[in-house]
Amino acid sequence: MSELFVEKYPEQARLIRLAFTASFIALGVGAVFGLLQALHRTDILRIVESPTYYTLLTGHGVFLVVTFTIFFLVGLYQWAVTDSLDRGPVDPRVTWTWYGLMSAGTIITAVTILAGFLGDPPEVLGSELSADVLFTFYAPLQANPLFYVGLVVFVVGTWLAGADWFRTWLAWSRDNPDERIPLPTFMVLTTMIMWYISSIGVAIAILAFILPWSLALTESLNPTLTRTLFWYFGHAFVYFWLLPAYLLWYIVLPKLSGGRLFSDPLARVVFILFVLLSTPVGIHHQYLDPGISEGFKFIAMTNTMFLLLPSLLTAFTVVASMEHGARQRGGEGTFNWLRALPWRDPAFTGMALAGIVFAFGGFTGIVNAGMNINYLVHNSVWIPGHIHTQVGTAVALTLMAGSYWLVPQLTGNRLVNRQAGLVQVVLWFLGIVFMTNSMYRAGLFGVPRRTAEPEYSFEYDIGVGSMAELNVQLALGGTLLFVSAMLFLGIMLLTAFNDDTEPLVDGTIPPALSGPEDSPPVLDNLRLWIAIALVLVVIAYIIPLASIVDRGGLFGPDIGPFPVFVQITDAIPTVFYSLGALIA
Amino acid sequence: MNIHTYERLWIVGAMVLIVGFIATITYGSVGLGITMIDDEEETLAPDEIGEDERFADPRVEQVGEDEYAAYVVAQTFVFQPDPIEIPADSEVTFYVTSRDVIHSFTVVGTNTNTMVIPGEVATMTVEFDEPGEYGVICNEYCGAGHHDMEGELTVVEAEEFDLTDLAVDAPDEVEPGEEVELTATVENGLLEEVETTLTVEIGEETIEEEVVVEGGTSEEITTSVDADDLGEGDHDWTVEVDDESDGGTVTVGTDDGGDES
Repeated sequence: MSELFVEKYPEQARLIRLAFTASFIALGVGAVFGLLQALHRTDILRIVESPTYYTLLTGHGVFLVVTFTIFFLVGLYQWAVTDSLDRGPVDPRVTWTWYGLMSAGTIITAVTILAGFLGDPPEVLGSELSADVLFTFYAPLQANPLFYVGLVVFVVGTWLAGADWFRTWLAWSRDNPDERIPLPTFMVLTTMIMWYISSIGVAIAILAFILPWSLALTESLNPTLTRTLFWYFGHAFVYFWLLPAYLLWYIVLPKLSGGRLFSDPLARVVFILFVLLSTPVGIHHQYLDPGISEGFKFIAMTNTMFLLLPSLLTAFTVVASMEHGARQRGGEGTFNWLRALPWRDPAFTGMALAGIVFAFGGFTGIVNAGMNINYLVHNSVWIPGHIHTQVGTAVALTLMAGSYWLVPQLTGNRLVNRQAGLVQVVLWFLGIVFMTNSMYRAGLFGVPRRTAEPEYSFEYDIGVGSMAELNVQLALGGTLLFVSAMLFLGIMLLTAFNDDTEPLVDGTIPPALSGPEDSPPVLDNLRLWIAIALVLVVIAYIIPLASIVDRGGLFGPDIGPFPVFVQITDAIPTVFYSLGALIA
Repeated sequence: MNIHTYERLWIVGAMVLIVGFIATITYGSVGLGITMIDDEEETLAPDEIGEDERFADPRVEQVGEDEYAAYVVAQTFVFQPDPIEIPADSEVTFYVTSRDVIHSFTVVGTNTNTMVIPGEVATMTVEFDEPGEYGVICNEYCGAGHHDMEGELTVVEAEEFDLTDLAVDAPDEVEPGEEVELTATVENGLLEEVETTLTVEIGEETIEEEVVVEGGTSEEITTSVDADDLGEGDHDWTVEVDDESDGGTVTVGTDDGGDES
C-alpha cells in the first residue's frame, strides 16, 4: 500500500479538505432548498410565499452549480495535479489566495441571495439587498450590485487556481523535460483552458455591462447581448461541472473496477475535443431567441451534435475499462462479467449508476440540441429534468462516490459505514429516476420550469397518467434525493472525526493499458489546441455578436432595470443634504 | 496512434449517428419548413411601443386571404390582448415584444413557443387545425409574479371568425314626443365583406337590421323609436352584432329621481 496523500502532502490535503468543506456546505443548503421547491411546486407543502420561491430557486442554482461543483473541482484538481506530478505548488501563498478569493466571493454572493428571505432587506449600494435573478441573472432583471461583485471575485479565484496549476506543471516540466504530461494533469490543464476561453464572455457581460448598470453608472444595456455573452460562457460552464466527473471516471473508476484505463490517447483526445467544441455551441441555448438569425443557430446545432463524440468515446472507454477490471477479478462470459464488479463498494457503485444516468441524460440532450424539436421542450420542466440527470446526478453522484474513495486519503481516517454509503448512492439513483421521470413527462405536455405554481386556470393535456401522479413522483424523488444528500453529509462528517483509524484504501493509480507512449506528442501541444479553439470561437461568435451590437446597440435600445430601485445617482444629493443638515 | 479495432468501429458508428442527427434536423428545417425564430424584425425600444402602430393597440388583424397578424405585448405579468382570438386553418403570424424584462410567449400543448426579449420583436407563423381554448403562459422567470402571468388563445372555426367592432351613439335623455335615435357604427376588420344582423332592443321593442359591411370599412346604421311609444321613465337598450354588444339607458321626460346622479 502506498503512502497516504495526507501523509505525503499534509498542506495540500488540508487545502483540499477545506475546499470540500465549502463544497459540502453548499450541497447541504442547496439540498434543503431543493426539497422545499419540490414540495412547493407540487403544492404539497408551501412554507414560503410564492414570490419567495424564487429566492430559494436562485440559492438552489447558485449554491449547487457554482459553489458545490466548483469548490469540489478545485479540491479534486489540486489532488490530481499534486498526485500525478508528485509535487506541491511553486508558491503555496498563491494557492491559499485563490482559495480565499473563491470563499470571499461565495460569501458576498450568498449574502445577497439569502437577504431575499428578509421581510425588509436593507439598502446597500443604492438598492435593496436581494438577488432573485436565478443563476442565469438575465438582464434587465437586476440584482444588488454585490451579487455580481461576489461572482466576479469567485471567478477571479478560479482563474488564479488555473494559473497556479499551470505554474506547478511548468516547474515540473523543467525537471522532467522529456516526459509526457501525466494524464490527470493533462485533464486539469485542458479543463482550465476551456474555462479561460469561455469565462471571458461572462466576465465581459458583468464587468462591461451588468455591474456598471446595476450601480446606475450606465443607464441601459442590450439584453440580447448580455444574454448571448452569458451563453457564450454557459455551455462550457456545463462542461466545467462535468469534467471533474470525467476525470474520476477515467482515472479512478477503472482502478475501482479492479483494472486499468483502456486508452490514455483517447482520453486526451476527449479532453481536447471539449476544449475545441464546448464554447462555439452556446447559441443552442438561444434557439428561440429573436435577434439571432437562423444561420447562426444552425451552426451552433451542428457543433453541438459533434460534441456528442467525446461523450460517446467516453462511454466506450469507461465501459471497456470496467469490463477489463471485471475480467481481472475473474469475470467471464458476454455479460456475466458485470457480476464480478465490486458492487458493494459505494465509490464504484455510485460512479457506475451516475454513468447510467449520464447516458440517459445524453439522449435527452440530443433532443434539446435538435433545433426544431426545441420548440416543444424549450423552458419546459423537461429542461431541469435534463439538468438534474446531468449535473444533478452524473456529476453530483460521481463526486459523492469519488469522495468515498478520496476523503479517507485526505483525512487519514477510515470511511465510516460503507453500507450506509451504498444505501446513499442507491437512494440518489432512485430519487433521480422518480423526479426526472416526472419532469421529462410533464415537460413534454408543456408544464413550465422555474415557476412557483406550475398549474394555471387551464388543464394540461397529460397523455398518460395525471398531473397529480406526476406531482407525487416529483415530490417523492425530491425527498429521496434530500435524504440521500443528508446521509452523504452525515457519513462525511463522521468520517472527518473518525480519528484513530486506518483507511482501507489504496491511492495508487495503475497505468493505462494503452499508455501515453501510444499517443502522438501533438496531443500535448496545448498552444496548438488553444489556437484552434480560439479560431472556432471567432468563427462561431464574431458575426452573431457584431450583428447583435449592430441591431440593438452596445448599450441597447433604452432598457431600464427591473425591479426599479432608487437610483444611486438620485440618492447621492439626498445623502449630502442630510449630512449638511446634520452639520448645521 | 494505437486504437483498438472495436474502438475504431465505435468511433465510425458515433460519427454516422451524429451526421444522421444533423440530417434529420436539416430535413425538418428545409423539407418540412420548420423555421427558427429569426432576426427579421427591426429592434423596438420598450418606450417606443406606444408609438408603434403594430403594438400601440395590441390586436389581431387580417393581412391576406386566410392570413392574419397578431400583435402581442408581454409585460409583468400580463399579455395584451387577452384573450387573443384567431381563426383555425389560417396562417397566423405572431409579433411579440416586451415592455420590460425577458418573457416568453408559449401556447401550452403546442410548439408555438418563443422568447420575448425587450428591444426585439419575435415573429413566428403558425396554423392551428383544432378550434378550442389554449393556455398562454410565460415560461421565462420574469419576477415575483411570474407564476401569475397567463393568457388565453381562442381558436375559432374559420367561418365563425370575425373582426367586427361595434360603437353606439345614443342619447341619455329625450323629451316626450321626440324620437330616440340610436346610431350604431359597425366596423369590419376583415378584408372580405361581411353580411350580418344588427339587433337593437329598447323597452319592449326589438328591431333587426340586415347589415353589409365592405372589408376594412365601417357602416353607420341608425334606428329610431318614438319616445311616446316607450312612455315616460328609464328604458334599457342593447345593440348586438356578431359577438359584440353595447348597452345603456335612455330617460324619456325630465329626470325626476331616476338613477342618474
